[in-house]
Amino acid sequence: MKFLPARETRAAWLFVAPAAAGLLAFTLVPAVRGLFYSFTDFSVFRPGKFVGAGNYRQLAADPVFWNALWVTLEYVVLNIGVQTVLALGVAVLMHRLTRSMVIRGLILTPYLVANVIVALVWFWILDYQLGIGNQVLDWLGLPRMAFFGDQALAIPTIALVNVWRHLGYTALLIFAGLQTIPKTVYEAAAIDGATEAKMFWRVTLPLLRPVLALVLVVSVVGSFQTFDTVAVTTQGGPVNSTRVIYYYIYELAFGRFKFGYASAVSVVLFAVLAAVSLLQLRLTRAGQSDLA
Amino acid sequence: MKWQRSRFVTAAAASVLALAGCSSTAGSSGDVTLNYWLWDSAQQPGYQKCADAFTSANPGIGVKITQYGWDDYWTTLTAGLVSGEGPDVFVSHLNHYPELAGQNQILPIDDVVESKQADLSSYRKGLADLWVGQDGKRYGLPKDYDTVAVFANQKMLDDAGVTAQQLDSMAWNPRDGGTYEKTIAHLTVDKKGVRGDQPGFDKANVAVYGLGLNGSGGGFGQTEWSQYAFSDGWTHADKNPWGTRWNYGDPKFLETIGWFQSLAKKGYMPTLQVAGGGKVGRQPDNYGAGKYAMVTEGSWNTKTYFQLKGVKTTIAPVPAGPNGQRASMFNGLADNIAAGTKHPDEAKKLVAFLGSKACQDLTAAEGIAFPAVESSARISKDAFAKQGIDTASFQVPIDHTSTHLAPVAQHWTELQAVMNPAMDAIMSLTAEPDSLKAANHQVDALFTQ
Amino acid sequence: MRSEPRGIGRTIAWIILGLVLLVTLFPFYWMLRTSFSSNGALAAGSGDLLPAGFSLGGWKRVFGLATPAEARADGGSGASLHFWLYLRNSVIVATSTTVCQTFFSAMAAYAFARLRWPGRNAVFFLFLSAMMVPPIFTILPNFVLMRDLGLLNTFLGIVLPGLLMAPFAVFFLRQFFLAIPRELEEAAILDGAGRPRIFFRLILPMSSAPLSTLAILTYVTSWNDYFWPLLVGKADDVRVLTVALGVFRSQTPQGNPDWAGLMAATLVSALPILVLFALLGRRVINSIGSTGLK
Repeated sequence: MKFLPARETRAAWLFVAPAAAGLLAFTLVPAVRGLFYSFTDFSVFRPGKFVGAGNYRQLAADPVFWNALWVTLEYVVLNIGVQTVLALGVAVLMHRLTRSMVIRGLILTPYLVANVIVALVWFWILDYQLGIGNQVLDWLGLPRMAFFGDQALAIPTIALVNVWRHLGYTALLIFAGLQTIPKTVYEAAAIDGATEAKMFWRVTLPLLRPVLALVLVVSVVGSFQTFDTVAVTTQGGPVNSTRVIYYYIYELAFGRFKFGYASAVSVVLFAVLAAVSLLQLRLTRAGQSDLA
Repeated sequence: MKWQRSRFVTAAAASVLALAGCSSTAGSSGDVTLNYWLWDSAQQPGYQKCADAFTSANPGIGVKITQYGWDDYWTTLTAGLVSGEGPDVFVSHLNHYPELAGQNQILPIDDVVESKQADLSSYRKGLADLWVGQDGKRYGLPKDYDTVAVFANQKMLDDAGVTAQQLDSMAWNPRDGGTYEKTIAHLTVDKKGVRGDQPGFDKANVAVYGLGLNGSGGGFGQTEWSQYAFSDGWTHADKNPWGTRWNYGDPKFLETIGWFQSLAKKGYMPTLQVAGGGKVGRQPDNYGAGKYAMVTEGSWNTKTYFQLKGVKTTIAPVPAGPNGQRASMFNGLADNIAAGTKHPDEAKKLVAFLGSKACQDLTAAEGIAFPAVESSARISKDAFAKQGIDTASFQVPIDHTSTHLAPVAQHWTELQAVMNPAMDAIMSLTAEPDSLKAANHQVDALFTQ
Repeated sequence: MRSEPRGIGRTIAWIILGLVLLVTLFPFYWMLRTSFSSNGALAAGSGDLLPAGFSLGGWKRVFGLATPAEARADGGSGASLHFWLYLRNSVIVATSTTVCQTFFSAMAAYAFARLRWPGRNAVFFLFLSAMMVPPIFTILPNFVLMRDLGLLNTFLGIVLPGLLMAPFAVFFLRQFFLAIPRELEEAAILDGAGRPRIFFRLILPMSSAPLSTLAILTYVTSWNDYFWPLLVGKADDVRVLTVALGVFRSQTPQGNPDWAGLMAATLVSALPILVLFALLGRRVINSIGSTGLK
């Protein structure tokens, strides 16, 4: 070593210092503070007093909280499920048909547009009275649908609107994964007389597993945090059908002055997300590519 | 420890701000700009006129008006109050001011009255008392008042053969809906042209609903169902203001809401799904597009309806109920002063002016809301008449002394967090009125904690 | 060459891809079409593929070129979008976040990847675990922190939490720095270069591809962020485009939204990033592909 260990250590700390300060000031300390708030009845306007596990007891008996958790889960499953399957399909189609940058670019466009914009556009397209979506249903002879107004449809609608935004992004990630699969593997399979469908199930899918796992890890955690679309369109309604956990926390803290209680809800969300991440991490490890 | 420190930081920051504030006001010859917030874009022009008049009467005090939609007015306001970057003065609502007063976020203005800047006897009876908080302090001066009436599409009335006299004499009851429901049914038309009271009516394919729906009304029901419930002898709570036991589980309420919901079940009124899409009902939109024959609406929205193109509207009083009364909620707005304002004296001057005849004459001339100052009523009536609007129907409940003051209570946002979903579910036909009993328990629990 | 799908199968595949593209692009056309319609004609012409009752009113209202009275007569609220101001604000927020976050994250990543120092693994583990903390968990306390510091409704308040690092950025760059051959660095050390010099002259230039990937993603994410700026930056002078659009939506008359104005506003808010995309197209597409393959 040409550098003295002490000098190198000092240099290292200098390099890490800004990021470490950021980590400490805006993630670690706030996390501890958030945990602390969750044991108080803090209202933003005046300091709270310690209430022990009161918030958590209230939370356990709060049907709106459990509903929010359930609605969020429903959203995540629909959003991720549909998105992954469709993106896989689109990626395979693109991979088999074209290398066109233009097509890839067009497919990616919705991802570049903010959630707020996406939400507003679809709110308009799917409007019950004036939206083109319902006009199309009319033309097809189908009954009009209250996409954002019907309790049973609202969450699927919001989930699919966000699929629209993320489809291209996810498809491109998978597409990049497909490009790493050597052509020789397919040639070998073709010589064995495999059909398109067989090649997809026997070759493409297994070799794509690590990429898919990564896509899932990133998108599931993001999906749990959906807020923008709900805030712009349904604001939790109708009834509680779109009151996802993020929106509930926002409403508690800024609509109802319950910072302490809102913090307790976010502690629980943290725990849920940590569990999901750990589970996924294990599954990812188990899913190393067969190519490796 | 943490609390101590953050308080210190706040105090330090506040004192810096205060210093900055002082020096800036001292440096610029006393020029002050007050931030004023409101939610109704339709009333902004009228209040702009008031603001201009105020500034010319008080050189050196400017007023900057900002409008935020009702949808997120209160969350924006909260964030603004927390950050100290909110308004100095804002339009407030009877449902919301008690909570703000309870959190010490708005300033009492008793001194405005004591110093004779405002004359409480100039207001319509009952309005001024609403703005005295539970602590006995006054927080606002009334600006306007409103009641509810029935709006009807004149062409649809003619097509159905409903006369003006029939419309003005409608009566309602929770058993069979009375002549009110008969009229609604007759005005309802399905896609094949069959009316709601004719055999073969297809309630799944309605072209025109006899009665529109603005929303479920939550626990408030101002324009949606309160006129029916009041005329059935019901009130929101055990007392008003400051009720603590609520009547959402009361048999009278259940039968009223049961009847109201039955209109949607029969296809005479849209369900919430069909009416809504989002939090705010799209009643004017749908009415303007010819999907509704009649709607119940608040007086402040009158101009909106008369501006709709291609629709001629008639206003009728709300139907008489089982107790023989034509009942309506009686509500009014006022301005509150944010406790964090750096210019409390100027803000009080503005509030006094907004509550004065001078300002209310100006807003009354816009012909949108009814002024709270009685002597401005003449100008208001003329302004409506000039637009071809006869407001007599709004006066009916007042003349019959069958108005009910809007509920004023603590915990209103919490109450609505329970009641909005509960009522939404009923008007979406996914729950029955019986579910309100459980909701009422939850509401009562808020007041016993 | 692998066998290409032939004949009918290929045609069907193209048709499906065409449909996907149609669904992807249609909403953009619909924004455009609605923005040039007049509100009064939208009900009657809800199925018209061309603007219903062609009008520039929506655009005029958005840019404040119509008087409040005109705007209200046409179904607007009288409010406008101070587009250039909000565009400037978005540029300030997204640019400062991207530049600082990428730079400071790269510094930290370098220390984790190339330097040996006691506590390295422990500190790196802290960064990794921060990736697991969902933003909402820190948003409420950070909001209170910004209030206590008097930074609400300031640019600093909006950017500060993301200015110094993002755990993902540190993690992502560390992977790339690890792969740089050690010989290069040792040669530089023999020439008497110090660590800062190595970092600026060797590591950063060699990592321009992952750095630009990261920068592009950070920029898009920061540009599109809504929740945090909604909480801390709603005041007019620091309001970014996403928040402005939310406010503009809430200002629209209740009961009968100004759809033409709203669609003009959404389109105009989407344009800057779409223009950027058109300029950087290939690079963005490649970037996104490469984040999945470390």
